[in-house]
Amino acid sequence: MILASLILIVSTGLFLFYLQATCQGILRKQFEQEYFQSIVNANRLEFPSVRRALEDYDGPVDYSRFRMTLKCDFLALTYLLKNAANTNHRYTREERLLILYFQAIYLFMVTRHALRLQEKNAIMNLTAILQYFANVVGQRVNMVRFGNLAPSDYLLNL
Amino acid sequence: MISNFLDSGFYYIVQGMVLGLLIFLIYKRLWKRLPSVTGYLFALLLIDGVGRRYVFYHYGVASHEYAYFYWLTDAALALGAFLLICTFFQRACAKDTKLWPFLRLFLVFVFFLVVGISALALSQNYANLFTRFIYEFNQNLYFTCLVLNTLLYVMMQQIETADDELNLLVCGLGLQFAGPAANFALMFLTPDHTPAYEYAKLLFGFVGPLCTLGMLLTWFYAVSRLPKTVRVPASKQLVPAMAAGRIEV
Repeated sequence: MILASLILIVSTGLFLFYLQATCQGILRKQFEQEYFQSIVNANRLEFPSVRRALEDYDGPVDYSRFRMTLKCDFLALTYLLKNAANTNHRYTREERLLILYFQAIYLFMVTRHALRLQEKNAIMNLTAILQYFANVVGQRVNMVRFGNLAPSDYLLNL
Repeated sequence: MISNFLDSGFYYIVQGMVLGLLIFLIYKRLWKRLPSVTGYLFALLLIDGVGRRYVFYHYGVASHEYAYFYWLTDAALALGAFLLICTFFQRACAKDTKLWPFLRLFLVFVFFLVVGISALALSQNYANLFTRFIYEFNQNLYFTCLVLNTLLYVMMQQIETADDELNLLVCGLGLQFAGPAANFALMFLTPDHTPAYEYAKLLFGFVGPLCTLGMLLTWFYAVSRLPKTVRVPASKQLVPAMAAGRIEV
């Protein structure tokens, strides 16, 4: 009975661990160039500044502002993932998985904040996911030519 | 009714995915680089897609023949996955030639230990296989594979391997073991003829196929989307003329 309970707990924990490791494996994908920069500039996304603020200063986190910023960037990027240079207007399987992963970490961050625990790592993970999304959008836009429009002009016309 | 419909739906999705991945590996000639993964998928298709279906239609779902065939092939597939993990260990140790001989001995020992204990437990309980014993047996077998897979994952992090494909293959296998191991443990823990047992039984119908689907999707991503590092063979034809003169073959 004790062994079975132990196996149940450990296996459930490892299941979640492997799910997380799979998402991290997808996020490790290398892009030929940093496509996300043009997407960030064209859409005035703020997640790079959130990451820089966390990396550079070891002070307290402006939680409510960061939370709002990340949520807004997430909404903008998921819209772009679906509609920018995407003829199917559908997310791919890995994008769906990463969207779920983002939402899970977001919930985890909110819970940690409510419990007065450090939320810095969760925020860093969220910015990594957003960077991946921005890279994917940038890569797609870069691959498709829209007449004389530059990628940033195309995004502004969406 | 809905449960049966979902069961069949999951079954065909999983088999379609196995077949699709096998065709992809053969068509792209990836089976030469991943023979163990191809072999495991082939065994999965042959046992789950062909063998079990044949016994299912020939004897019926409630027959003893189907139950014996199902559970014994389940143990065989778990042992096959164990061998697959061993080949992943070999791939992870490709650059560490000192570690592999020691690990090989350890893995051979553990494999025969698991086969021996499994065979002994099955032969002793063959007459009353369809009691709580089968849940306990599978729970232990899947958990052993899960522990071995996790050891491999930890080892890969320790030696800082840059093989992203192997990393995702191991993660996929971890999903395949962790879900069913937890589910078998839950079924073993819940008392018979209670609503909790019925829920656990219902869950069992979905956890297995969903975890297999998770593994297959992860593997498909690993072999199709990740960029591969190309190894250039040091043949004389590929080396510029001046440099070729200095190569001793």
